[in-house]
Order: sequence, then C-alpha cells, then structure tokens
Amino acid sequence: MIKLLGTRKQKKGKTHKMKKTLMDILKKCKWLFVIIIVFVIANMYFLTFPARIIGDIIDLLYDIESNKTEIVNNLVYLILVSIALLFIRLPWRSVSSFTSRTFEMLLKNKIFDQFLKIKMSNIQNIKNGELMSYFTQDVSEMRAFFYKVISYGTRIVATMIIVTYTMMKGVNAKLTLATLCPIVVTAFLVVKIKKYVEQNFKKSQKYFTALSEYVQESTDAIRTTKAYSGENAKLKEFIRKNKVLRSSNIAVEMHSTLLSICIKICFGLCYGISLIYGSKLVLENSITVGEFTAFQGYIGLFVGPVEWLPSLISRGKRAALAYKRLDKVFKLEKEKILPISDNKEAMISGNIVIKNLTYNYPANIEVALKSINLEIKQGQKLGIIGTIGSGKTTLANLLLRLYQVKNNTIFIGDRDINDIEITNLRKSICYITQDNFLFSTTLRDNISLFKEGYKDSDISESTKNALIYDDISQMKDGINTVIGERGVDLSGGQKQRIVISRAFLLRSNIVIFDDTFSALDNKTEEQVLKNVNEICKDKTCIIISNRISDIKDADNIIVLDDGQIVEEGKHQALLDYNGLYKKFYDKQSSKDEINV
Amino acid sequence: MKNKTLIRVKKMLKPHIKAILIISFLALLVSIGEIVKPYLIKIVIDEYLSKKIYTNGIITVGMIGAIYIGIVLLGNAIDLIARMATSIIGEDVIYELRNKLFRYTQYANIPFHDKTSAGKLFVRITNDVEDISTLFKEVVSTIIKDIILIIGIIVIMLIFSVKLSLLTFLVIPFVILFTGVMTILLNKIYDKSKIIRTNLNTFLAESIYGSKVIKIFNIQKEKRIECEGYTRDFRNTRFQEGIIQALLPAIMTILENIAVTIIVLVCTYKVYGITLEVGLAYVFITYIKQLFEPITRIVENIEVVEEAVVSINKVYDILDEKENLENLENGIELNKIEGKIEFRNVWFSYDNENWVLEDVSFVVEPGESIALVGKTGSGKTTITNLINRFYEIQKGEILIDGINIKDINIRSLRSHIGIILQDPFIFAESIKDNIKLNKNILDEDIYSAIELASANEFIYSLPNGIDEISNERGNSYSAGQKQLLAFARIFAHNPDIFVLDEATANIDTYTEGLIQKSIDRLSKEKTAIFIAHRLSTIVNVDKIIVLSNGRIVEEGNHTELLGKGGYYAKLYNSYYESLG
Repeated sequence: MIKLLGTRKQKKGKTHKMKKTLMDILKKCKWLFVIIIVFVIANMYFLTFPARIIGDIIDLLYDIESNKTEIVNNLVYLILVSIALLFIRLPWRSVSSFTSRTFEMLLKNKIFDQFLKIKMSNIQNIKNGELMSYFTQDVSEMRAFFYKVISYGTRIVATMIIVTYTMMKGVNAKLTLATLCPIVVTAFLVVKIKKYVEQNFKKSQKYFTALSEYVQESTDAIRTTKAYSGENAKLKEFIRKNKVLRSSNIAVEMHSTLLSICIKICFGLCYGISLIYGSKLVLENSITVGEFTAFQGYIGLFVGPVEWLPSLISRGKRAALAYKRLDKVFKLEKEKILPISDNKEAMISGNIVIKNLTYNYPANIEVALKSINLEIKQGQKLGIIGTIGSGKTTLANLLLRLYQVKNNTIFIGDRDINDIEITNLRKSICYITQDNFLFSTTLRDNISLFKEGYKDSDISESTKNALIYDDISQMKDGINTVIGERGVDLSGGQKQRIVISRAFLLRSNIVIFDDTFSALDNKTEEQVLKNVNEICKDKTCIIISNRISDIKDADNIIVLDDGQIVEEGKHQALLDYNGLYKKFYDKQSSKDEINV
Repeated sequence: MKNKTLIRVKKMLKPHIKAILIISFLALLVSIGEIVKPYLIKIVIDEYLSKKIYTNGIITVGMIGAIYIGIVLLGNAIDLIARMATSIIGEDVIYELRNKLFRYTQYANIPFHDKTSAGKLFVRITNDVEDISTLFKEVVSTIIKDIILIIGIIVIMLIFSVKLSLLTFLVIPFVILFTGVMTILLNKIYDKSKIIRTNLNTFLAESIYGSKVIKIFNIQKEKRIECEGYTRDFRNTRFQEGIIQALLPAIMTILENIAVTIIVLVCTYKVYGITLEVGLAYVFITYIKQLFEPITRIVENIEVVEEAVVSINKVYDILDEKENLENLENGIELNKIEGKIEFRNVWFSYDNENWVLEDVSFVVEPGESIALVGKTGSGKTTITNLINRFYEIQKGEILIDGINIKDINIRSLRSHIGIILQDPFIFAESIKDNIKLNKNILDEDIYSAIELASANEFIYSLPNGIDEISNERGNSYSAGQKQLLAFARIFAHNPDIFVLDEATANIDTYTEGLIQKSIDRLSKEKTAIFIAHRLSTIVNVDKIIVLSNGRIVEEGNHTELLGKGGYYAKLYNSYYESLG
C-alpha cells in the first residue's frame, strides 16, 4: 500500500528516520541497560550457589557428628543466598520491565508525533486500520523483542558463561562437555520446530479471523438468511470453516507439544549422562558425591535458556518486519509547520483569488478540479453546490493547504498560498467539515478545540448561536459533559450543531461550512443560518451545500460539475439560466418524498 | 449453581470419557517415571557411590544410568501421546461447541436476535469459546498429571519417612498462599492496564480518524501532549507487572530452601530419632522441589478455570434455552400458491405489553398491490415481519391462500415471500452468490434476473462483473445499488408474494428510475405490499391502507381517500404544504 505513496526521500539531517529515532530512544535508556546487565550477572552468579551449597551439605552429611556446626553454617548461608536472590531479582525485573515499557512509550510518542506531521495526501492513502496497527501491533512487536533481548537474551548469555564456567571449574570440565552435548543439539532442533509452530500459529490466526468475520456477518444478516431459508447452507459453510480452524489449531498444539517434549528429553539425557559419567568420576575419586549432586542442580539452570532461545529468534524476525513497516511511516513526506510560538504573523485577510486552478489528487488519474477561476472579497458570501464527487470538498481542502497546489493558483489575503505559513493559514480559516467529527472528551474541548483562553461566556454564546445551548444545559455536566466512546452519545443533529459552534467561537477571517446543515430540521437550519450571516458580516463565508435554501441568498453561487464551474451567479440569475441549478431547485421543491 | 456448571461440563466431556480415562492412565505411567528417576539417583548414591563399588550384585551403575535414560525416553513418548490426545479432545470439544452455538444462532427466531445483540453472540462464539479452549490447553492438559504427581510424591515421601515428610509439608501452605496472592495481584494489574490500554487505543484511533480536523484547527501540539499522558499512564501500570513476576520465583526459592533446611536439620540433630542415608536426604530434597512446580501451576490456573466456568455458563445459558428455536421441519409444504393474503383480527406486541397492532384485518387478493401508509411507529413495518413469521402474533390469524401460516412449514412459507428491506444486506461474497443466496439457481436465470432488475449496467461496470467480491456489508455500493441487487435476488428466486420497504435514503434520480421499473414489473405479476415513502408508489397501487397507532384508520385507493377528506387527505395535504 505504502509503496504507491510516492515517498520522496527528504533532505538528510532534518528528518527523523526510524534508525535515528530508535538510536535516540536507546540512548535515553543507556544507564538502565548498564543497571540491567549488572543485575543479570549478579543474579546468575548467585543462582549457582544453592546447588553448590546443597552439594557441600551432602558431603558433610557423611560425617554428621564432626560437621554439625559446618552444616548449620551452610544452611544459614543457603537461606541468606536465597534472600539475596530476592533482593537482586526485585530491582532487576522492575528495571527491565520499566525500561521496556519506557522504550514502548517513547516509540509510540515518536510515531504519533510523526503521524501528526505527515501530509494529508499521504495519510489519505493508508487505511485507518493500518495506521492503528503501527501503534498497536508494530510497536508491541518492537517492545516484545526489546524486552526479550534485555531480560532473556542477557540471561542466556550469562547462563552460558557463568554456569558453564562454574560447572567446569567447580566440578569437572570433561563431565561438563559430555553433559552439555544434548543441549547444543536440542537448541538447533528446538529453533527448527519453533518455526513450524509459528507458521501454523499464523495460519491458525488467519482461520480464526475468517471464522470471526463469518460469524459477525451471519449474525448481522440473520433476517436476510431467514427470509431466504439459508440457515442450513450458512451452517454448512460455518462447519467447513470451523473444521479448517480445528485442524490448524491441532497442528499448532502438536508442534508445541513436540517442542516441549524435545526439551524434556534433552534434559533427561543430560541428567542420564551426568549420572553415568558422574558416578564413574566419583568412583575414581575425581569428584565428591556432593559435587555430583551439585552438578545435577547446575543442569537445571540451562532449562530456561533453551526454552527462551527459539522465542527470542522468532521475536527478532517479527520485530524486523515491524521495523521495516515503521520505517516507511518515517519516510512519508511531512508538512512544514513552525511551532506556534515562533509564528508572529498577523491574521490573513479574507480576500481569496483562484486563478486557473486544476488539481488532481496524488496517485489519482482523474482530475478533481478543472480550470477554476474565482474571486471572493472579504465580507462576501459564496455558495457552492454540485453533485457528489463534483469537487466541492476538494476546493475547501486546497484552501487549507491540506493538499499542495502549484504556485500562482490560489491567493489568500493577496499572497500566494504556498508562501503563507501553514499554521497561520489554518488559523485564519475556520473550516467546518461535513463528517461531524468529535473527540471523546468534554463538549468544551470539542468546541474550543483544546485551546485555553476562551471565556465561559464566549463558549456559551457560541453554543447559543448554534442552537445547541439548550441541549447542553439539560445535560448533567453541562459544557463539561464527556461525549463519545466513554461518555454521552449525541444525535447526528446535536453533533452537527456542536461542530457549528466552533465557527462562532474561533476568530478567523474566513469561514467554510462544508455540508454542515444536513442533519438539522428546517426551522433550526433557518435560525442557524441567520446567526451565521450575522457573524460573517465582515468575514468571508463559503457555504457548501446540496440544499438551495442554504445558499440562495449568497453574493455569488457557483455550480460545480465534474470538477468544473458550470454555472455562476446569483440565485435568481441562475434560475433564469435554466441549467443544472434550476434542475436542483426543481427537484428539491417537488421532492416526492412523503416523510411521514 | 455450581451443580449446574458441573452437569454442563459433564455434558461437554461425555463423548470423550473413554479417551480421558486412557489419558489418565498414561499420566499415571508418566508420573511413576518422574518419581522413579530421583529414586534411581538415590540408589546410585547410597548403594554404589557411598560404598565405592561399581557393581552391586549383577547390576552396575551404568545399567542404572541406562534404565534412567530408558525411563526418560519411554516417559516422554507416553507423555507426548497423552498430551496430543488431550489437545485433540480439547479441539474437538471446542469445535462441537462452536458448531452448536452457530447452529443455534441460525435456527433461533427473530425475537431472540432482537434481545441478543449481534455483538454478544459474536463474543459467545469467539471469545467465550476461546476461554474454554484455554481451559483445555492450560489446565486439562496438565492437571491430571499434576494431581497424580503430587499424590505420588506425597505417598513416596510418606513411605520413606512419615515424620520427616510431615515436617517438610509445613511449607506447602505457604507455597499455595504466596502463589495465590501473587496471581490475584497480577490480575489486578492486568485489569487496570486493560482499561488504560483501551483509553490509549481509543485516543489513537480517534486521532487517526480525525487527522483532518487536527490539521485544520492546528491542534497537533495539544494532541501530542495528550498522547504522552496516555502512554506514560500505560507504562506506569504495566511495569509493575515486572515486580510481581520477580517476587514469585524468588519467594519460591526461599521456601524451597527452607524445606531443604528443615530436612537437613532434622537429619543432623536426629529430631524424633530420624536418620537418613545421604542418598535418601538428597532424594527428599529433590522430591520437595518437584512438588513445588505442579502446586504453583494448579494455583495459578485457578483463574483460568474461573474464567472458563463463567464462559461455559454463558454459552450453555444460550444453548439450553430451546424455546427460541424455530421449527423449520414441520408444517404443510406449499407448492404453488395464488398469493392471497388475509389478516383476521390480528393483535401483536413485541414485548407482550404494548400493542403494536390492534385488531388489524385486511385482505389482499392474488395479484393485487397495496401500500401501507402511516407515521413512524404506526406498525407498517411490523406487518411485513408477521407475514413471513419472523414474529408470532398473539391473537387473530394470518392466512395465505386460506391456510393459517402457523400451520405452514416456515421454509416453505418464506420461499414464497420475497422481501426487500430498506437497507438490503449484502454479503462479502461475489455478486452472483449474493443473488443466489445458497440456492441452486442456473446461471442464465441469474443473468435474466439481473436484466429484469435493471441491475445490468451497474453490475457489468464492475471490474469483475458478476464475480466481483463485494466489500464488507456491501460498503462500496450505494444504497440504490444495493436495492437493485436486492431486486435481482427477488427476480432470481421468483416468490409469489413481494414485500418492499422503500428506502428513505437519498438515491439519485437515475437509479430511482431503475428501481421504479423493477417495482412496476413485480407488482404487475405478483401480490405486492409496499411500505410506501414515495408518492409515485402510493398513487399507483390498488389499495392504500392507512395505519395510525397500530390500527387501520382508512382503506381505499388514492382518489377515494382524498375524496373522503380524512386522515390520509390531511397527511397528503400537510406534506404538500411543507414543500411551500
């Protein structure tokens, strides 16, 4: 998908590439790593103690009477070591958990920051679900691998070195080498089997998703299914899908069982070898019985690393994929936005001039707008009407520089739009979009859009103008009512009026309403429009609508069709022209819809 | 309550009881192997190493080692079989359960679906069944062996030394206690972090969806700060997991070593006169360590069992409710019908409290077309739901060709009635399958149906034509196109009675014309009932039935009713007034 986006590489140095981002984050965690490594080594070192102490005790038990004090001393030592282990593990695991979660936090923040800067034309081509999966899936994969490396990877290495050393040095080198043979062989085998588990697991997940989707569709479609007596056919198809899922699940379980049995056999063999060879060494007086038993204890310390190794490898592979996907996000082109504080430019005036504007969306063959010429003076009102896909919203999008136009095509406040700083441009235009998008937060924040500094009276005034004041007063928390997923559900009309309130609150020279009155009933619409006219007296006002009543008293009306201005003029003139506008008018005044 | 769950679990496992018995027997063998292994080491230490001999009688140390390896291989081979068998049983149970649930949803009547949201059913078939599957994967697969192992180790320790064993077992309550407490704490953190994760993800999804608004109103900075707040909260809850995960193994090590200390001290000071050979002391230490693992596993799994029990009950609460199922097999089979519909004093209520239809009677003669007119909530849509027995009426009779529909086989009844809903459901299948809807219909009949429904232009303009796979819920098609597809369905299935709930959604003039053509075609041939929103439809029908608050207030054709100057005339005139 992203390949199509025409990613242009940006100048070096300025851009946050994934690698640099990752390095920055890792640098921030530098000292945490050092702490983790110290703890890992300490932990591994102390972990070898209990086996050795018990071995010593076993040796001492052969002559209890003369060794009593020493046995007790060793027991005290054993308890102390296990308490020491508690105090090593606690900070160690806390730090490594904290580190990996910090890594996740920083990475998520960076990607979110990146997302906010990406150009609209690039975002548009990525599905919302895919964008979301960058945050959830890919970042989690990266974190999981990162965590595995710092907590398991380090332990695998530490075990290999410290435990092997202890075994060779403390017991017997030959015995160690002979015993560890199966582990080396198994490690390879385990990695191999794990690959099958992963593959099957992926398949299994795919089948599960397919089944879930089927269930969802079927329950939603139950009336249609019943009307056509399709119950049995649906069931048959479900059973087929279910069967596939079952066999793939069984395959996963078979392989993971095989995996754990392999590991168990491996260690069984290790113990067996150490039993045979170790006893021989005891009989040869090379090692003591205590060392013989301690050795058995050391073998147990290898179980963990052998189990972790395959999942570390497969996690690494997944993280590499996630890295590549995230890297693409960082390569997407960004908008050049100055921090608001750096931007001292004055508000731009509301004069708009469009000269011979032709536009097509990136990677789209079809032309969205064709040779548009238009002039609006501050204080004027422009109405735009046209069928779906005629280019109305595109025009609005271009005025906000959500998409890039060529130089010398759009002028706002007598300056080329490409010379105006984006933040400043957008501050000067209040664009009320048609999708009634609201954030899951308080009504206040939704109207003021998180900006501080508006007085309560300003906000209530704007809600009165949008005729939503009464609805809000009836809510328990008034303007502080939380809406959306975690709060109150609003009707379509209420949402629309909340969105419209923004236009009454935010100070800007240009106001654009993009089909924002459609969910209002006639009476409300009329009143809101009156208030809009009042506030827009000195402003440039653009109303995009499919309803003639919304635009009929505009200073100028343009009719768009297929990206072109086909008719232009005042209401009466357009009616007299008897073209597309007249057609819309006729259809709306004799709408044979009996909404009873 | 508990008893009910037990019965349900029994029902679930009943077909597999023999296999479970065999698996238990295999687990017993594996456990014996696990117990014998340390004992072999004891023999080696006490009988050979302590005595410094290689051969005792005819048995050498090497032979014992070989036996040890033999037990390892054999034990694991048996374990492999037992575990694979367990997972197959588990998957079979889950498979059956899913099928049963899905069968239930398909055969359940419409009132059941009204009560139970699609989302809830979805969760039952997917998540709840997954919970039960986890029960098998995590618990059932290990618990038989674990219990046998625990009992076996306790028994063998008691055989070696009752007093020492009892002293050592003192630590076991602490093992259970700590594991239990830690598991509860960990779950608390999980629950808390789940909420925080949902908040974070909601925020992210919303920001993605609203990226245009964020840009338009310059609120990038505000959003970035908000994001940082959410991610920090998330980190701060999740990292606490690490602490708990560190504590449990560390505490277990301490308890283990306390047990070792008890054993060694008792031997050293000959408490209660206990003396042990060195090898026996070693084997005791090994056993006590071996005992810890299954005990912790069982305690940790209590949570899984609890969740699964809840899920089992949820699933069976649905499955055990048999009265929601429609009887699709019994009843009179209709072959060819005339298409006469008669409502005789029909009373109907969705909730058995508020009447939606009160004493409604009317007749539609074969081939006639009627329109139902009335305000929202007047009961017009309800009537269409009653004809095909989506709902059962409380009083009165509905007759088709003079036969009470209660006596007609439901499948047969529905095959004679074609309904087009306001927003027709389009499956994520090919256009062809969407028209066929699982019936065997010849290709040429499908083509002619498309032709008759005037859907040819739209369908053949698709890249893959009739084989084009539609998006989820037909999202890529407009409301009008979906209706055209629905008409093609009707023409292909060719029912004798046709019911149309006209779309109120905006449909462009051109498509509207095509739809009208289909309507005209159908109403000419068949008995037709329209839930009318368009004037053109109302004017053309043979009879208009005006409903108000569940009662028929007027009946007649357009001119008659206008002339009457009653409710319909008022409705009609006020509509024209509103146009100004």
